[in-house]
Amino acid sequence: MSEFDLHSLILACDFRVDDVDQMWKWLKKHRDPLSSIGAHHVVLYTSIWEPGRVLVTIGIRQAGSIRDVLRSPAIFEWFDISGADDIPPIFGGEVVEKIDLYGPTPEEHVGRVVVGVMSSVDDVSALMEKVHDGIERFKRGGVRKIWVYQALDDGREVMILQEIADELSARDWIDHPDAAAEWMSNAGLGAYPTQFVGSFAHLMSIDEQV
Amino acid sequence: MFVCLCTGVTSHVVNDVVANGAKTSKQITEACGAGGECGRCRRTLRAMIEAHFNVNGCAPEKLSH
Repeated sequence: MSEFDLHSLILACDFRVDDVDQMWKWLKKHRDPLSSIGAHHVVLYTSIWEPGRVLVTIGIRQAGSIRDVLRSPAIFEWFDISGADDIPPIFGGEVVEKIDLYGPTPEEHVGRVVVGVMSSVDDVSALMEKVHDGIERFKRGGVRKIWVYQALDDGREVMILQEIADELSARDWIDHPDAAAEWMSNAGLGAYPTQFVGSFAHLMSIDEQV
Repeated sequence: MFVCLCTGVTSHVVNDVVANGAKTSKQITEACGAGGECGRCRRTLRAMIEAHFNVNGCAPEKLSH
């Protein structure tokens, strides 16, 4: 996980492709359409346990309407290039808080093992209080960073990206999540994908279109 | 979650439509428009129908396109 503009919109989706490296090669050649919708970074995480499963986040500088961004040809072209015939559900939201349990890391820092969850919770403010109260427990569970995003279309919907020390700690975390990690219980229900356990694979910076 | 990018319909809306009785992706399209344009979200719509009926302990009469 690396640091980007805290106030930008983030789009995220979890899907499967046949060839991750080939997909990324093609995507790198098609930056202009993403630039046209204000994208500044694309981050690709690949699943550790499920070959071909990826989690992609796209940071967008400014968006008048998230629906306009989502229906833009750039997004459809992006899935075409990715080789995804079916378009997965997309999380669209803004950062609530990025908690670094061990202090700031350099901008070029990328995470070790990343657990990504899209889910719904009862109350995001109450959730953040519980998370802060449980910081020491999270540390003991190997959690190093907790990034919380709140959906724009549903105030109870969140995406949580956690950086965890290693794969074993990630497995323990999924099997026995902390009570404060309310988001773990609704993962995999309905449109929400199951917990994603992966590692950083690629980062693409996109220059601002003048 | 935005389920249908063409229409901007969210999972919240689709869940409501399914809870109100939609059992096929076609019925979802008729109710809220999701899946009616490019159709590339229909797999998700069907998965949401299945998930709804699995959670509620029964099966839809049929799952069709």
